[in-house]
Amino acid sequence: MDWIAVGLAQDVPPGVVIPSRIEDTEMAIWCTPSGRYHAWSDRCPHRGMRLSHGFVRGETLACIYHGWQYNETGSCDYIPAHPKLTPPDTICVPTYTCVEDGGVIWVSLNSGNDPLPALGARVPIRSVPVSLSAKDVAAHFGTAGFTTIAVVSDYDTLLAVQPCTDTSCILHVLATPDADPKAVSRWVEELRTTLEGVPA
Amino acid sequence: MSAAIDNHWYPVAMISGIDAPRETLLLGKKISLGRDGGACWVKNAQGTPLPTVERFGHLWTSPGQPNRDLFTIPEADSPGRRLVDVGSVKVKCSPLRAVENFLDIAHFPFVHTDILGAEPHTEVDRYDVKIREEVDEVWATKVKFYQPQAAKSAAGGITTEYMYRVPAPTCSVLYKTCPPRPGEWDIITLFVQPLTDEWCEVWPWMALYDDDSTMSEMVSFQQLIFMQDRSILENQLPRKLPLDPGMEVPTQADMTSVAYRRWLKKIGYTYGAKLVAA
Ligand code: FES
Ligand SMILES: [Fe+2]
Repeated sequence: MDWIAVGLAQDVPPGVVIPSRIEDTEMAIWCTPSGRYHAWSDRCPHRGMRLSHGFVRGETLACIYHGWQYNETGSCDYIPAHPKLTPPDTICVPTYTCVEDGGVIWVSLNSGNDPLPALGARVPIRSVPVSLSAKDVAAHFGTAGFTTIAVVSDYDTLLAVQPCTDTSCILHVLATPDADPKAVSRWVEELRTTLEGVPA
Repeated sequence: MSAAIDNHWYPVAMISGIDAPRETLLLGKKISLGRDGGACWVKNAQGTPLPTVERFGHLWTSPGQPNRDLFTIPEADSPGRRLVDVGSVKVKCSPLRAVENFLDIAHFPFVHTDILGAEPHTEVDRYDVKIREEVDEVWATKVKFYQPQAAKSAAGGITTEYMYRVPAPTCSVLYKTCPPRPGEWDIITLFVQPLTDEWCEVWPWMALYDDDSTMSEMVSFQQLIFMQDRSILENQLPRKLPLDPGMEVPTQADMTSVAYRRWLKKIGYTYGAKLVAA
């Protein structure tokens, strides 16, 4: 599967930036005021500051350290210390393919050519961090070939699993619109407890 | 470790803070320190005494054979200055990143918003930087910046003039316009103890003309500034300071940082440095 869920759109509203990761790739995920999502390397080319600590200004992401602003393509547009300078094209942040679909923010570290995961009519409920690797979560469900998506019979839930480290992942949970979000939320808490009790 | 790293003086404690003997780290190795009567001592892990100097309110030592004396700050001795031990802040970053951040003014409007800088006053004019070969120090002069609240003693916004001096690889001295006494310089230093190559203890010290603020007001002001800096320093990647060009992108405003990195490379100071571009 090419696409990996890195967050829910409801947690990254327009004008917000958050840190996220897919294994060793650390990312800044941000949403422009007009609602477009971007996933960038979490490192400012100037002096290495994490861009996820930055701020959204207009349709740019600004670094918190010296305020350099990067436009939606990742190119540096503005250097506050030198307001009259047009920054050279070479100053740019590595970007990853990122789209929002069905209320989920998806990132592809590969080509991004695969079709997006089919979510059915489900809606996002919440994201839950789990102290267990994505691989071990998959093993728990025993789904052959399963990597990042599982459909579970309880509440007809879909779990999009975001692999973070060797000992952690995040479950992004979607359920059918008629499911009671509170009940789904409780079910996920129990699932987390079960998963974290699974010997690695 | 190489002589280029060992043969320097390092701050390891604030003298007024030494009561019982204690252990700390210097360049990744355990040392112990304390005070017998009037004099402070430092020993390495084997119990061998290390050389000491007591200066600027701090205790200094060296694991090697320093080939020169600990630097001096003659201006700090002039009468009427108040000497301020600020205390220490431990920071998870390379000691060199901590010094480099201290040499940087372009971050003031964004990190020390409405104190040391404020938008739209973000422009950094050209200033002078050089490695003074005769003393083997890095100096930046004629650095000017608009500051809303340059010091505890400043009544309002002023254009502050700065001079930066790097007299040792992990130390920097800042001379800055003194709000109540135009023509004199306030002195603010950053003494950095390399605990390891990615962890340091920062000992700021000041010699200020300020007859109005209380000691604790001056300390709190400076501590607020360093807390803001720490939130940056612990989030730079990589933690070590890249000395080779290519990994980071300097501009004209970063001339001091460029000179500092070049000087470190020249003197072979690689502790806390990243040498090959990743
Ligand atoms: S590190 Fe990002 S603007 Fe300087
Ligand atoms: Fe700062």
